[in-house]
Amino acid sequence: MSWSRRLAAYLPRTVERDAGGTEPDPRFTFANERTFLAWSRTALALVVAGLGVVQLLPPFPGVPAGRHLLGVPLIVLGAVLAVAAYAEWVRNQRALRRGEPLPRSILPWLLAATVTGTAVIAAVVLLVSALR
Amino acid sequence: MTAATGPGQPGDDPEERDPGLARERTTLAWTRTAISFAALGGTMLKANVISGLIILALTPVIWQLGRVSRGRPARAGLPAVGPLRLFIITASIVAVSLLCLVIAVFGRSVPGALR
Repeated sequence: MSWSRRLAAYLPRTVERDAGGTEPDPRFTFANERTFLAWSRTALALVVAGLGVVQLLPPFPGVPAGRHLLGVPLIVLGAVLAVAAYAEWVRNQRALRRGEPLPRSILPWLLAATVTGTAVIAAVVLLVSALR
Repeated sequence: MTAATGPGQPGDDPEERDPGLARERTTLAWTRTAISFAALGGTMLKANVISGLIILALTPVIWQLGRVSRGRPARAGLPAVGPLRLFIITASIVAVSLLCLVIAVFGRSVPGALR
């Protein structure tokens, strides 16, 4: 399947048209929606954190680009997380409707990698800043 | 005793179809998401007033999206939760992220504002 078709499969109109299966238990639908919203809030938190680092923190002495090194990836990953959360909601909803097992989620891995990467960059920036 | 149904499928018992407090929890989750937008807008006001106001203006829209009636009769092939609402949330976060990225890269910072 081409990339354009894969992307089109996640558009709201396509999701409604190709729903398939039967309406699942509303509690599962609500739970899926809440999970999506929780990931969306996490994405917003990453964006706020990134903006706060760049705009509000004092500059790191000796590392002029330090704040951008920390903040810009957080903002970008916030956007990526939001898109991934929507894609996961679509996949989960399809699986629920068809009575299939829920697909494996990449979001916890993505978030863990983001937090770890940010912590490593922060440690390096602080060390370099302290040594200069 | 409920009829044997597949995972994720509603049973025959009407009580099993009742979402109970799940609806309320979901509405609260929408409210928290709207508050998160407001918090981001408030932070953004410090960096760029117009962008902050735009994001703050999104807050009631997000809150209202969560209040869209879910009790409509289910049409064939239509999920109970319209994907358009969730797509709007995603698109809003991506747009806000791009706005924040532009401000972070090109905007004037307020160093030491957290001191």
